[in-house]
Amino acid sequence: MLVRFWGTRGSLPVAPHADVALAKVARALVAAGGRRFADEAEAAKFARAELDFATYGAFGGATPCVEIEADEDAFAICDMGSGLRDFGLSATRRCAEGHPRVYHFFLSHLHWDHIMGFPFFRPAYETGARIVIHTGHADAEAALRRQQEAISFPVPFDELKAHIEFIVHRPEESFEAAGMEVSLVRQSHARGSFGYRFDRPGKAVVYSTDAEHKPEDMDLEEDVEAFFANADLVICDTMYSLGEAVSLKQDLGHSSNVVAVDLCHSAGARRLALFHHEPSYSDADIQRMHEETLRYEEAVRGERPRLEVLCAYDGLEVSL
Amino acid sequence: MDWRLRNDGDRLVASPTGRVDEDSWKAFSTHLTAAVRDAVAAKAPLVIDLSGLEYMTSKGLRALTMAKNEARGQVAIRLAAPNETMRRILSISRYDMLFPVVDDVDQAG
Ligand SMILES: [Zn+2]
Ligand SMILES: [Zn+2]
Repeated sequence: MLVRFWGTRGSLPVAPHADVALAKVARALVAAGGRRFADEAEAAKFARAELDFATYGAFGGATPCVEIEADEDAFAICDMGSGLRDFGLSATRRCAEGHPRVYHFFLSHLHWDHIMGFPFFRPAYETGARIVIHTGHADAEAALRRQQEAISFPVPFDELKAHIEFIVHRPEESFEAAGMEVSLVRQSHARGSFGYRFDRPGKAVVYSTDAEHKPEDMDLEEDVEAFFANADLVICDTMYSLGEAVSLKQDLGHSSNVVAVDLCHSAGARRLALFHHEPSYSDADIQRMHEETLRYEEAVRGERPRLEVLCAYDGLEVSL
Repeated sequence: MDWRLRNDGDRLVASPTGRVDEDSWKAFSTHLTAAVRDAVAAKAPLVIDLSGLEYMTSKGLRALTMAKNEARGQVAIRLAAPNETMRRILSISRYDMLFPVVDDVDQAG
């Protein structure tokens, strides 16, 4: 299985202003200290080796969209955030090389940041493409139609050429899709959200975003741990610090890095990907959050094996 | 995790020892809530002496939040004498912004 992150930002797409790039270039030049490079490839090698990710790279600003490559017969995509546009372009290229034009979507919920990419998803405009939208929300179709009403978008939903179907699932029942066994679980979020678990023989990925784990509901967390059990990768909403999540940001429906680590530890998961980054965070802020999460994991690891903690960014690929 | 609660003049001092994790948080939370009720009844601040604590996971931190909610501002809850690991956890979780943290139990008057 291969997991590709096309959008990792929460709530709102963001893009850096000009001074952000300038600051990175300036920091890199200072770090290079007058060194000479034969070409850009050599300079890039230096940057990767000597600079931190927040300087030579960027976490990106597209909203949630995660591809899970498990099967040659169909694409599997979690959420339709603004990252979906780039996925659509990539999929079009892969289809030109013979990949079947079948797309299975798994929607966590219908908030705007998780569906806004669909009107820009090129395969939806192609005759012969088949799009299956798996959801736990009965009004998923209404949400997608509404964002293409004339007041919001020039092309109405009914003009999309692809064959589009919606399948509403109940959390108790798992199902097969895109070559995987898929199960879903209800999560605490405004109007509810759903986490998904994707199983292949010997491999499992969990996508759990927009989920609040409240102090007063800690008794119920054993169910979450069971859902995450022994997963090779858990993608978790870690938008706020725990201190914010229980005070100023209480009831906004999001979780923290430290709760994500604890859930993964208890579940015996192997890897955690920090996800749904706060839109006001700079690359340095997100990198600091990642470093703090690594330190927290080490502090509370006890006798367990190390949980690998990744920080998702637009363009990250994780092979399992 | 072990728990001791003592009356120290005009304040209550709770001393959990060991670890607060997924196995012990319920006991920690139960003791803590009871201690908050005692503190409210006695109109005395509650000091949590962290010196004997190896570490606390988010379960313990969130139990602190429930205790604070239980206290409803009627009594102060202060954290004292965290070891280096606990200090790091309080900083990473930003709980050092939610609770006063002092180096020494005696400072936590
Ligand atoms: Zn969201
Ligand atoms: Zn949401």
